[in-house]
Amino acid sequence: MADDGDLLCRSHADRGLEDQLFDRERHIRYLEMNYQILPSPYESQEINHLTLAYFIISGFHILHALDRIDREAVIDWILSLQAHPKNEAELNNGQFYGFHGSRSSQFQSVGNGVSVPNNSHLASTYCALAILKTVDYDFSLIDSSSISKSMKHLQQSDGSFMPIHTGAETDLRFVYCAAVISSLLDNWSGIDKEKAKNYILSCQSYDGGFGLIPGQESHGGATYCAVASLRLMGFIEDDLVSKCTSSCILDVPLLLDWCLQRQAVDGGFQGRPNKISDTCYAFWVGGVLKILGANKFLNERTLREFLLTCQSEYGGFSKFPRQLPDLYHSYYGFTAFSMLQETGVNSLNIELGISTIHHTNI
Amino acid sequence: MHGRPRKPATPVDENASALKAAKIRSLQSQFLLNHHNNIYTKEALEINAKLIESNPEFMTAWNYRKLAFEHNLSNQSEADSDHIKSVMDEELQVVENALRKNFKSYGAWHHRKWVISKGSSSTERELRLLNLFQKQDTRNFHAWNYRRFIAGLKNISDEKELQFTTDMINDNFSNYSAWHNRSVLLSHLLEKKVVGYFPKEIFLKEEYEFVRNAVFTDPDDQSGWFYHLWLLDQTVKVDMPNLVSSWPPHGSEITKTTFPIVLFFNEPVEGVNLQTVSVQVEDAIFKNITWSLLSANKFKCGQAWLTHLTIPLGETNSSKIFQVKISSEYSQGIISSNDVPCSQHWSIEFRVSVCHDFQLEGQSLRRMLMTDENFCTVGINSNVMDLFKSYFELASDYEQPTSSKWKSEMIASELDQYRELLSWAECKIGKLTLARLLMANDAIGTTVAPNTSHVEEVLKLYSELMELDPAHYQYYKDEYSLAFLKQVTSSKESLMKYCGQYKESTSSNITGPMCLRLNSLSLSQIGSFERLLWVQSLDLSHNQLHSIEGLEALQLLSCLNLSHNKVGSFMALDPLRFLKSLRVLNISYNEIGAHTVDTRRYLCSSPLSHTFDYDKKFEEFATGDEKVLNCWEAYSVFGGLDIMQLDVVGNAAADERFMLFLVKLLPGLKWLDGEELH
Repeated sequence: MADDGDLLCRSHADRGLEDQLFDRERHIRYLEMNYQILPSPYESQEINHLTLAYFIISGFHILHALDRIDREAVIDWILSLQAHPKNEAELNNGQFYGFHGSRSSQFQSVGNGVSVPNNSHLASTYCALAILKTVDYDFSLIDSSSISKSMKHLQQSDGSFMPIHTGAETDLRFVYCAAVISSLLDNWSGIDKEKAKNYILSCQSYDGGFGLIPGQESHGGATYCAVASLRLMGFIEDDLVSKCTSSCILDVPLLLDWCLQRQAVDGGFQGRPNKISDTCYAFWVGGVLKILGANKFLNERTLREFLLTCQSEYGGFSKFPRQLPDLYHSYYGFTAFSMLQETGVNSLNIELGISTIHHTNI
Repeated sequence: MHGRPRKPATPVDENASALKAAKIRSLQSQFLLNHHNNIYTKEALEINAKLIESNPEFMTAWNYRKLAFEHNLSNQSEADSDHIKSVMDEELQVVENALRKNFKSYGAWHHRKWVISKGSSSTERELRLLNLFQKQDTRNFHAWNYRRFIAGLKNISDEKELQFTTDMINDNFSNYSAWHNRSVLLSHLLEKKVVGYFPKEIFLKEEYEFVRNAVFTDPDDQSGWFYHLWLLDQTVKVDMPNLVSSWPPHGSEITKTTFPIVLFFNEPVEGVNLQTVSVQVEDAIFKNITWSLLSANKFKCGQAWLTHLTIPLGETNSSKIFQVKISSEYSQGIISSNDVPCSQHWSIEFRVSVCHDFQLEGQSLRRMLMTDENFCTVGINSNVMDLFKSYFELASDYEQPTSSKWKSEMIASELDQYRELLSWAECKIGKLTLARLLMANDAIGTTVAPNTSHVEEVLKLYSELMELDPAHYQYYKDEYSLAFLKQVTSSKESLMKYCGQYKESTSSNITGPMCLRLNSLSLSQIGSFERLLWVQSLDLSHNQLHSIEGLEALQLLSCLNLSHNKVGSFMALDPLRFLKSLRVLNISYNEIGAHTVDTRRYLCSSPLSHTFDYDKKFEEFATGDEKVLNCWEAYSVFGGLDIMQLDVVGNAAADERFMLFLVKLLPGLKWLDGEELH
């Protein structure tokens, strides 16, 4: 073990000082490569095409490089993935009319009376709207009422959400998607907030973190979904920790303890107790701390150092130090640096998961 | 999924990947065609299975399988159990193949749950599969969740599942997922009162031993310590809510005819009202009493409950003594946030002597100076002193001794063990655990008086931790402060050392009530409020306080010095809203307004936290004055108070405009930052 450690230290030192900086230009190049053509390891993610696009386009925006994309082409492609009900009556048939994750889950409509499977999904819908927001598309042109109206059918009696009307697991991830969709559309009619709130609160574990469903082991991603959803729905405020916390619906001190303990000795964040640090939790857990107003308690210097060990020489970020980068971890690496207030990086709307939009910039 | 940077590919590579792409593309288009045309034949399902095997993330393919499954079973005119079984086996096999490709596929695990809940399947088969995946990745939370699902569906006993966590921990005690499931299972067993697990002392002893093996093997691994913390919490958790102190205290004599009554419980409770608590003056039961909660938590529960009582004086001019009795009428109606009722009966009796001299005691308009030069120790004969004495001598009479013998034995044995560990391991979390055990030991002692025999050791441990682990300095500091206050408030004698009174600077007249001086102690947090309900004057200056949460229980407080602390915003002073007797307040030299995030973002536009009823009035108050709108927080804290003397100098927020705002807001103000107002 000691030998390994020495080796790491040496190779670290060998890389020189220039590696210790956030390399914005290289990250932009990495996104450009992925924007033009996705590498083959993503083939299994075809169904999540929109989500990958979200990482790239929102990534460009965080890096102040939105000029690298063909805005009109992006908008056309995204709008082409929206599912539309044939008529008003169809909105009440229990199906969800949002966005498809990719072409393969979409069927061209046929007029022969055969029911056309509609596979639009909450997560894809979130990503589609997030991209449209990022490129400053005029939301009044979106058929938002059919999204909201049909989304209502996805909420379960316990308050959780199913992501797709044909049925799938129900948990906090999709409560978050529903909340963020409602927030982006500025239309909350598709969600029973009170029920959703109660479901979220029932997921807080004895240690202060949140599991994806009640009783589950607390998890960084689930905790983000819980806190960001409550924030979006207006049940909690920003900067809870600087105020009296006794009237808050959450057990804030316990949550804070749990989140702060997720920063490991190497400076990075882990998603669950006693796991190794992973780039993306700098956003999931760091984001919760930011919403709570407690990011001043985390050790920014060591977090930055950890993240830089995950910065790839090809641009982008990897999950663990010194591995190959991927889009998911790259995006959350960028967002983490945005929270660390890196120069040349756009500020972030934590609970929406995208950059702050300045309408005049585009 | 790991995107690889593009390197020049060899022609062979390119050929291979082109072939693979072509194959997937062809499978996909055949599948989509079948899906579109609702074809669910054996061949169509095989194509789908191949597709899923190469890409388990393809959710549309899973959804198609569900449709096919339902279609193929609905065509059976009568239940053919062999057929159903073969269809189900087929589905389970497809899932298993997909999981072998990617054991973190949400879609695959969900499909399995979906199939299993449609009908019978062998429990053994599922457990075998789970064992495979839980060995492969012991922290795989999909597998752990699926395990809980199967255990629930198949009614596998919690004991059996507990044994599984034991096995997993024996394989690797670093597996926190196993410890987590263990705490969930034990909670179930306790809740269901399963023999061998109820009452909790039966399993706690074994669990302490079990986790000790892990902790002693590698004291630097976190998982065991977390579980130990959970066990300690289960051990010290109060079994039921109970009254721990009150104002006025039992057996006391007070001389004011209108006074607050505060009931302080050992944990937050709800249901304190006319039905559950009776207030009796002489023989008459008072019916027009409203109990209110001081600082509600999320369940509308609170530790401190307040009402005000006015003794009806009637015709008589002569001095008279009234006997007041406050007792639990229906204690089951008072319940904790976990729905545990208060089952002990309690009652407090005190006397109110109506003596007109005391009624005339007016407020001095002189400025009160709380300086060292003016401070003197308390005269033994003073009236306040008597009250103070009765508080301490009798307060413990209605503290119920808990059935805590097993608790103290358990904690004593843990103390021995962890003292031993620290003798050979330098380990910060070990020190922290020892400090927590020592505090727990003092808290559940069988003696009626608060036990502080270990506080010195606790303070020493936290001091060491502050040096050893500077990253968590503030946490240790807070714990240090709470332990220190526990010690200060443990007895009359120790409190006396911190009490005194102020003389007027020009004469030797005593001004104001007895003052508790907890200044310059570098406290970062305050606590032990249940033993401070008598305090009328409190000096907390020159500490490091960020918050005064809990101070609202001190309803007699008329004079409070918070100068030279680290209070960062007016919201952090929110407890002051409840202190209606407050006349003299010093918040000078804090950090109010120094943190932009604290002061500028929650203006009156936020309807969320500011649910109290000042909003309308504030609008009227601020009419025509744009700048006043920025003072919402200060308005919400001070608006309902009648403060006579206020010091705010030395805060970023205290500019000239703010001073004018305060003068307008507080008509009773006589002194502001040492200057007399006219």
